[in-house]
Amino acid sequence: MNVVVAPMLAALGAILATLVTRSRPRLQHAASVLGGVAYAGAVAWAVRAAVLGAGAPGAVTYQLGNWPAPFGITLVLDGLSAFMLVVAAAVAVPAIAVSVRFVDRANQQVFYHPLFHLLVLGVTGAFLTGDLFNLFVWFEVMLMASFVFVAFYGNAQHTAAAFRYLVLNVVGSVTFLVAVGGLYATVGTLNMADMSRRLAEAGAYGIDPLPVTGLATLLLATFALKAGLVPFQFWVPGAYRAAPLPIAAMLAGATKKVGIYAIIRLYFTVFAGATVPLNLPVVAGTTPLALLAPVLLVMGVASVLMGGFGAVASPSMEELLAYSSIGQVGFIAVPVAIAAAADSAALRRVGLLAALVYALHHALAKGLLFLSAATVRGATGTNRFADLGGLGRQSPFLSSAVFVGFLSLIGIPPLSGFFGKFLVLDAVTSRAATGPGVGAVAVLVVLLVGALLTIVYASRAWVGGFWGARSERVRAATVDPVQVAVLVAVAALVVAVGLGFEPVAEFAGAAADAALDRGAYIEAVAPAGGESA
Amino acid sequence: MTLLLAAVVGSLFALGTFLVLRRDVVRVVWGLAILSQAANVYIITMGNVAEGGGDLVPVLAVHGGEVPTTTDPLVQALVLTAIVISFGTTAFALALSYRAYQENESIDVTEWAS
Repeated sequence: MNVVVAPMLAALGAILATLVTRSRPRLQHAASVLGGVAYAGAVAWAVRAAVLGAGAPGAVTYQLGNWPAPFGITLVLDGLSAFMLVVAAAVAVPAIAVSVRFVDRANQQVFYHPLFHLLVLGVTGAFLTGDLFNLFVWFEVMLMASFVFVAFYGNAQHTAAAFRYLVLNVVGSVTFLVAVGGLYATVGTLNMADMSRRLAEAGAYGIDPLPVTGLATLLLATFALKAGLVPFQFWVPGAYRAAPLPIAAMLAGATKKVGIYAIIRLYFTVFAGATVPLNLPVVAGTTPLALLAPVLLVMGVASVLMGGFGAVASPSMEELLAYSSIGQVGFIAVPVAIAAAADSAALRRVGLLAALVYALHHALAKGLLFLSAATVRGATGTNRFADLGGLGRQSPFLSSAVFVGFLSLIGIPPLSGFFGKFLVLDAVTSRAATGPGVGAVAVLVVLLVGALLTIVYASRAWVGGFWGARSERVRAATVDPVQVAVLVAVAALVVAVGLGFEPVAEFAGAAADAALDRGAYIEAVAPAGGESA
Repeated sequence: MTLLLAAVVGSLFALGTFLVLRRDVVRVVWGLAILSQAANVYIITMGNVAEGGGDLVPVLAVHGGEVPTTTDPLVQALVLTAIVISFGTTAFALALSYRAYQENESIDVTEWAS
């Protein structure tokens, strides 16, 4: 069997297994958790066989229906896809394990488990596909599942949030379709490798690459909407508050990363080769990356501030975490923008490496915190700081896990967050050292303010929820031991990623190389024919 | 032909945008449906639409003659997929808007819970 399809088959198998066992709840829960573990196993196996293992080829492809490359749909598992799959699997397994205990039984019966695995399948497909239109289809698969989850509890607030989320995402999908149609008309292909090859030698293929910059910007808008970057951040708090908390962990940890992944993949692997003269007031350059850099930088910097200030003012833990994830995605976007602005290959790699490490860190830490919020709500029935307090005494293990999560978010060594933040700041300072200094220094200042705000809201959450005297609700709470065990395991993973950072950095480095090495990507997919359009 | 299609796409996008910005939830769903269809018509135009004629049909009029250049069929496959997806999304949007109307007791989206 081809390793590329293994994670998808595992997710598909989990969907079927949870559908078949729907009338027997216990069996269904077991099947669902096992399905999550099987998915993680399939990801580990595929990543090992394709990228990390000794003598691995570095990139493996699967041609659907055995149609040769530019004509059929290609699935590609290269370093970048592999890294993102590992991120998704690291969130999915604890999320489903907590779901089984957290979501009440009647609600779990209502297709919770099949939809959860459908969400995982959508994320996996988006990471693996090598075809632009197919990417759109996987986005829709992912969205369909998340629409239902946002509307899941079905009260006034949830349905209103879901409707807004739906309207916004349909408009996003329309934008995506317009970009796909335009790119097809311009380049004459939808296969990403073929598109990359044709754009690099536009003259030889008789292509006028001029519209590519604008169409790429439409794609950027769509992906920024999925990633929740400013100015498309407004759906985030409502949707995260409405969705069941383990799903909020998935939305923040995995589906937001799909937006970031798509920006990196399309801009750096596909559009970077195009030569398009740009003559805008501030922007000058010869590739679509030149426009990406300032736009994404502003978006990222604004997200850092917006998320930080929003989180500081939040009255409940889930809202605080939702705003925090807006800010943290900003921290991921800034190094990507630095990489786009970089004129040297080394700095470009540093930027992407920082973004990827931060993405992994954020998925783990924010996943841990959202799942902790689920446990807190399950135990006390609320997440409002006004009603909480003293959880530290009530449940030391839960509080320790939360403490690790917040410390990692702040960036205390040796946790995973330290390396994330360190690499991001390193990328910005390297840029300040080589390029025009003023802008980079300003960005550095904003990032430090963002880091400071992280400390403020983390302390606020800690003081509000976990420190001090026990409130009445906390005193009456019974914390679920199984959920706490899962949380402690995730916290241990956060510590382990920090302590054993060397292999993680190598993996992220391989992912950054894969994103930048257009030649290897094209060679792996090997699109045939179509020498002249 | 291209000019006509461009005008159609433009008016559909304009109408869809107008409807999405209404306060009535039913109009918003209509707006979503029209926006999706606007994107579909747009993609169809990307396939070099040529006016039909006797020598352009996929089943050739004569045997062994010159094969006519036809409209790109790939965009039609794309649009089929996109139509199915937007159909599903619209159906979900209708069901959701009914439930949201019941829960919020209003069809005015600005009066819904935040």
